[in-house]
Amino acid sequence: MTDELNETVILKPEDLRAVYAISLAIAQTENIDSALDLIVLHTRPVFIFDNMVLYLPKEQSGLDPSYARVIGRGKCAEGEIEWGGAIALKAFTARQTSLLHEKLDGWENNRLFWRDFLGLPLKAGDDVLGVLVFGRFGGPPYAPDQIRLAEFIAAQTAQLIENHHLVERVAKLEAERWLRRMQDEFITTISHELRTPIGFIKGYATTLLRDDTKWDDASRREFLTIIDEEADRLHELIEDLLDSSRLKAGTMFMQLQPVKLDMILRDIIVRSTARYASLSVQLDVDHEVMVMADPIRITQVIDNLLSNAVKYAPGSPVKISLANSKECCVITVEDYGPGIAQHHLEHLFERFYRVPETSVTTRGTGLGLYICQQIIEGHNGAISVSSEVLKGTRFTINLPCKREMEQNQLTREEQKA
Amino acid sequence: MSKKILIVDDEPRYVRLMEANLITDNYQVVKAYNGEQALEIVAAENPDLVLLDIMMPILDGFTVCERIRKFSTVPIIVVTVKGEEQDRVRGLDLGADDYIVKPFSATELLARVRAVLRRAAKPTGVQVQSVFHHGAMEIDLAKAEVFLNGKMVYLSATEYRILLQLAQNVGTVLPSEQLLRDVWGVEYQKDKEILWVSISRLRQKLEEDQSNPQHIVTRSGVGYIMPVMPEGSYH
Repeated sequence: MTDELNETVILKPEDLRAVYAISLAIAQTENIDSALDLIVLHTRPVFIFDNMVLYLPKEQSGLDPSYARVIGRGKCAEGEIEWGGAIALKAFTARQTSLLHEKLDGWENNRLFWRDFLGLPLKAGDDVLGVLVFGRFGGPPYAPDQIRLAEFIAAQTAQLIENHHLVERVAKLEAERWLRRMQDEFITTISHELRTPIGFIKGYATTLLRDDTKWDDASRREFLTIIDEEADRLHELIEDLLDSSRLKAGTMFMQLQPVKLDMILRDIIVRSTARYASLSVQLDVDHEVMVMADPIRITQVIDNLLSNAVKYAPGSPVKISLANSKECCVITVEDYGPGIAQHHLEHLFERFYRVPETSVTTRGTGLGLYICQQIIEGHNGAISVSSEVLKGTRFTINLPCKREMEQNQLTREEQKA
Repeated sequence: MSKKILIVDDEPRYVRLMEANLITDNYQVVKAYNGEQALEIVAAENPDLVLLDIMMPILDGFTVCERIRKFSTVPIIVVTVKGEEQDRVRGLDLGADDYIVKPFSATELLARVRAVLRRAAKPTGVQVQSVFHHGAMEIDLAKAEVFLNGKMVYLSATEYRILLQLAQNVGTVLPSEQLLRDVWGVEYQKDKEILWVSISRLRQKLEEDQSNPQHIVTRSGVGYIMPVMPEGSYH
């Protein structure tokens, strides 16, 4: 097609300018619609048409209009894009430029009854990617040099669509590759996380079982404590994995009931400070706060935030505060540790995400905060994080208050009814 | 004097586990929590054995093993993880003498340590003045040093023991099981893989043409032999 063009067509200066502008538009944009807008814009001064429609193959068979511009004299009739369908199909199956010339009765009075359609297959190698249709009403018919120019534009459009397909394919492959990498990394992490406690339990238990040695009391206690802690860790890890897959499968249900949040927080703090010798927590609440919540799940969330503080902000005190308004109550859990760099924050609640800088030195699976977020969302609440490097990290949990929750539930039941 | 053992692991609880068990068996223990530290200690303290974890951040066990082998023949036991079979082979390939798989029991750890130290012990009673010649290769039996074309070759303790077994039996095929038993110990008798890896490493160091070995020749299905050199090739 291009070869023929070189042989037979002598482009006028304005044609050349249009052709150049079109090539540029296609080279510079990956978005099909905006490139087609530019094609229309640059074609119009050198080539008269009333509408331009791009037909792309449907998934099964046939063609669908995917882009249409009706301009100038065709603007009054919206249904016109339909009229290009037949010629598009013809050009698509014949794989060559096709013309349709119709003069219906009364064409002298209604120029819409004199129709000239030009269907141009968009070829890329052996494939036809679609058809570009130009429609012109009230004549004159397309002249041979205009057809050549249109063929050139079609070739450019084919290039545009081919580029677009390639970009889409690359993006799809990239996404698949990323997912596979995340899964591989997860399996590596999870097997390491599962094996480490088992290694300690096995090692220290067999140490105590050695019959050629008598351990003193202090050592025995030390080893048993390690076994105990590692068994706990294994238990937590398995729970996290189960929770995570329950959440994925949508089978984790919140047992909502009225709970005194201030009491729950006090209980958690007593247990956590007993468990982590280095942890000191300050609680900032002076009145009773009632919410509808699953006490076990809320406890799990706060436990997780505290154990994160112990892990990632070692030695830092933690401040928990609880405030409430009519609509919601807000829990904040704040540490004064090394903080988290800004660009990690948006990923922090993603399943399996771990901050790379700390993932080599600190054990973890990247499940904890994901589970926290899902639990809070299961309460119609929200959890967010803010952090400043070298200053500390603050998690904020918003939970709807009791009345709000009841209302929500009512609305939902009404909707169901 | 008690043997000095360097424990290298980034998990303090593993270091403590190994330390507690080794100390009760009268070993002296030095500890490193990362690869850099390990290299420094090997250079400065000259331990008799290194227990080297593979999965460490920054400088992993493989790299450490490789670097140690550039300046020391100290026996190394790599500590690998179950399920990562290729780690075991790679560790041996990089010059480790043995491996132990996590999770391990205290008795298993101590048995491996004893076995490797026994192997590393310089054979006594071979105090004959002798230097053994085999083609371009020379073994100084008194100093336990090996030379190829007059240039010293660094062999790990295990590699040296294999070579010695073959040299002491020139012209005789040594079955794989026997080599495994004599060099590693009875409990290793079936572990052909560990022998293959060591033989292959030895050949890399000693053979000019590995597809046509002169010093260590395979007798398929049986074992290995150091062939009698043709007349005139002795120095």
